[in-house]
Amino acid sequence: MGAVTMWVVGIIVLPLLAFAVSVLFLGVSRKVTARIQRRYGPPLYQPVIDVVKLLAQQENVSHGVVFDAGVVLALGGSIATVLFIPVGGLHPLATGGDLLVVLYLMLLAPLGLALAAGAAENPNASIGVSRKLILALGYEVPFLLALLAVMVHSETTSLAEIARSQQASVLGWGLFRVPLSALAVCLVLPAMLGLRPFDMATAPQEIASGPLVEFGGKYLALAALQGALHSYIVIALFVDVFLGGGANVLTFLAKVFAVFLAGLLVNAVYPRVRIDQALRFCWKWPALLALLGLVVVMVAGR
Amino acid sequence: MDRAQIPKILKSPGNWGRKYSLWAVYFCTGCGIIEIPPVITSRWDAERFGVIPMATPRQGNLFMITGYVSLKTLGAIIRTYDQMLDPKYVVGFGSCPVNGGMYWDSYNTIKNLDKYIPVDGWISGCMPRPEAIFIAVTHLWTLIDKGLADGYKRYKDNYEFYSQNQRRVLPHLPKFAGEYEAEALTA
Repeated sequence: MGAVTMWVVGIIVLPLLAFAVSVLFLGVSRKVTARIQRRYGPPLYQPVIDVVKLLAQQENVSHGVVFDAGVVLALGGSIATVLFIPVGGLHPLATGGDLLVVLYLMLLAPLGLALAAGAAENPNASIGVSRKLILALGYEVPFLLALLAVMVHSETTSLAEIARSQQASVLGWGLFRVPLSALAVCLVLPAMLGLRPFDMATAPQEIASGPLVEFGGKYLALAALQGALHSYIVIALFVDVFLGGGANVLTFLAKVFAVFLAGLLVNAVYPRVRIDQALRFCWKWPALLALLGLVVVMVAGR
Repeated sequence: MDRAQIPKILKSPGNWGRKYSLWAVYFCTGCGIIEIPPVITSRWDAERFGVIPMATPRQGNLFMITGYVSLKTLGAIIRTYDQMLDPKYVVGFGSCPVNGGMYWDSYNTIKNLDKYIPVDGWISGCMPRPEAIFIAVTHLWTLIDKGLADGYKRYKDNYEFYSQNQRRVLPHLPKFAGEYEAEALTA
């Protein structure tokens, strides 16, 4: 009975926790960026004001059933992914699904946004989606190679198992056991989060915020929440695989926050690169490092 | 946050959001836009007030007409305004949208913007200083609080008046789908 209660509580608490943390991250990101640019910045709860305003908008322009369904699919896919990522000791579904399930579920959100953007029939949205997909083609190669090295090294595909096996000491972290793979994922992390220098998919000044160009009102609110949740998912996955997860929820969230802050500093000072430069970079250095890491792990394991 | 505000926020969260999250449409009509970069960057940081520039009209709810409005720009302004979602607020920036300013007798600018789209507030001056934008924003807050910033409602109620004025200077302005259908039915 106790186990079942814990399971149900975990399923309810995890998405709420993820929402709270990711909205807080949005606020922190705006404040930290402002301080780096020597501005005072908005209050920490500014994203809450923004989302409340968008949800309270009196007029919402929809572009058909696919547009509505796409936004819901994106947000639902993100919430489903959150349930499969172990947060400290909390992992209600992580025993049922493994790293491969997470990788597949993570594709639902971009798919939903691409469907909605396509239904909006705005040329800027199409350009944004095509850039996003090309960028995904770039970072998926090193990312999957690095995760393959991790799975080979720990001889399991269970995310909870991988996180637990690193908790003996700091030197047991994936960062030190598979350093080349960790470095490769570090290099593509800004691309996965959509931060500068890889934010060409949603470039507001070039293509009017890309896939989100026709989003307004409650649709934009859901898309903004989904974007925040996506950053949380990617960083949580990185922490679970390479930074030893967390002994409890608090240490886990502290690590997630540290990685997020590092990404933010990169985001605040770099300019945007072109999509072809991004693809060339992703397929050159991170992919080579990840491939080398995989070879080292396979040879050392033999 | 002021603690005395909390009951007011709980009473009407939508109003709270509309007040402190004004997303401005990135639209430059005339020379007044030169005052906007210092306002949104480090020197005068508009993000303190919740004002940030948005790339598309669908996402914005504050429309600043910065400077003189030529006839060609007026068409783009009307189209942009129609694409914005309710509630939306329009602020005329500088003398030219108020009464024509130094382009008073020009052959291709309009003199009073309020005849073509409803304007909620004016910032006069040529040029107004960046601080004037913040005075306008705080003034807009009180207008929103009192329910006086109702330009979007006036536009719907008096659409005939605005539409006639728009068509008089811009005969080739694209018509709405509804009017096309009405014409097809009568023909």
